[in-house]
Amino acid sequence: MLRHLRLMFCFAKFSLLGELAFRSNFLLKILVEMIWLGILLTFFKTIFGKSSSVAGWNEHEFLFFVGAYYALEGFVETFFLENCVEFSELVRSGNLDFCLLKPIDPQFFITLRRVDWSTAPKILLGFIMIGFAMFEIGKPLELWKIPVFLILFLCGCSLAYSFLLFLTALSVWMIRNQSLMEVWWLFTNLMRYPRQIYDSEWALPIRMVFGFIIPALLAVSIPVEFAVKEINIQFTSFLFVIAVVYFFISRIFFNYSLKHYRSASS
Amino acid sequence: MKKYFNIARLSLKERLTYRGDFLLSSFLRFLPMITSILLWKSVYGSSEQESLSGFSFKQVIAYLLLVNISRMFSSMPGLATNLARDVREGSIKKYLLQPIDLIGYLMSYRVAHKAAYISTSLVPYMILFGSCASFFDTFPTPVGCVYFFMSLILAFVIGFYFEVCLGMLSFWILEVTSLLYVVTTLSFFLSGHLIPLDLLDTTGWLDVLKNLPFAYLAYFPAAIFLQKVSDEELLLRFFIGALWAFFFFLLSRVILYFGLRKYSAYGA
Repeated sequence: MLRHLRLMFCFAKFSLLGELAFRSNFLLKILVEMIWLGILLTFFKTIFGKSSSVAGWNEHEFLFFVGAYYALEGFVETFFLENCVEFSELVRSGNLDFCLLKPIDPQFFITLRRVDWSTAPKILLGFIMIGFAMFEIGKPLELWKIPVFLILFLCGCSLAYSFLLFLTALSVWMIRNQSLMEVWWLFTNLMRYPRQIYDSEWALPIRMVFGFIIPALLAVSIPVEFAVKEINIQFTSFLFVIAVVYFFISRIFFNYSLKHYRSASS
Repeated sequence: MKKYFNIARLSLKERLTYRGDFLLSSFLRFLPMITSILLWKSVYGSSEQESLSGFSFKQVIAYLLLVNISRMFSSMPGLATNLARDVREGSIKKYLLQPIDLIGYLMSYRVAHKAAYISTSLVPYMILFGSCASFFDTFPTPVGCVYFFMSLILAFVIGFYFEVCLGMLSFWILEVTSLLYVVTTLSFFLSGHLIPLDLLDTTGWLDVLKNLPFAYLAYFPAAIFLQKVSDEELLLRFFIGALWAFFFFLLSRVILYFGLRKYSAYGA
């Protein structure tokens, strides 16, 4: 465990050094993230300029949600997304051999070898938005709720990571996997809004599939509902259990996919 | 002309090599529409108003569907990045050594790319629009359809020359990837891809936004189809759009001219 932490520290350090070698590029990447946040907030403000609530969420609760979503997305993008996207290229070029030959857990090395520091401010900004929304709501989060919220937030991150790992593993068979980003975008799209917007009768199949089988709808909704709405014990425990289960299933699937890697082109 | 036709033919073949991945990604792109429909349903439900900034609920959804068609013509994935890479790595000289015009080559390649994309996406798009037909209350007249088609061609031309200009900035700036991210991100919002520009009326920037080249990449064709552009305004909008297209065409030629004088084939 300690060895892995030390290695993670090294990965983070070298990634930062790499980014700082091209400072202006790094700053521009951060600027992009700021623009995205501006777009997200403009969209959010436009919607609440036309309506007082959306699916039972008022403006401040929704802002809390947006903050949590932004932080979760930032977490996944900072640590995993770039590495997972590059995986198909490693498979195609045969360079995956070099990763597998290293005396370290392949999943750990492949999905964490590079930290994208340009998206790291999203995590901070997301939590700033959460703090601001909490202030606007006017009801501070009870002390005992903070660690539980953080654990649930990490469960949401773990769920997103597991799904990303599933998609990454598919690259071994698909070779060229441009759809990975599309599917990931679809997954984030489902996480982006409160699950209550899927309460329509005709959206029942989506609610069932993405609420229980591939529970993307719960990743952000449940931690936020826990913090600003009534606590739903069943869903809260379900998120915790499903995050752990999905983590192990995705790991097994990833290792299974590596066994089918043909090492072509190397 | 024959050589440009052959480039287009070969590019089409190349593009269709990975058609499984291509079809899957085309199909997946539509699924977020369901989220948009549900979100806007909640917004209109809570606002208790029939129309917001002149758009009914059905029209917003129809608009969001139509911008997919606009972007199908105007988006140029990989054009600027590949061009920048060719300049940076010096491999652009393979085009310069041949009796071929670089921008003409890129145009042929892109036309093939678009033809492949549109033909492969036709079935998923037909399914999508067929299942969402109830969101379209009105259909444009035959003349309106011609205007719509013309606006799509305009979207393609502006999108193409705009991306070429961006890619060719790499003659001066070695790494343009991040700059491209900034522009793409801004374009996504300013083109009206996310939300009809009319809904941004509270910002006070609506007139400016409608006159920017970005509006022609997504908003304008969708607005024409939904008959949100009056007959008097239509001519002016087309005129401004044509000016933008001509401006970027001219700019791309000027950048190429001066860029090639600066280019040293370094890295090849």
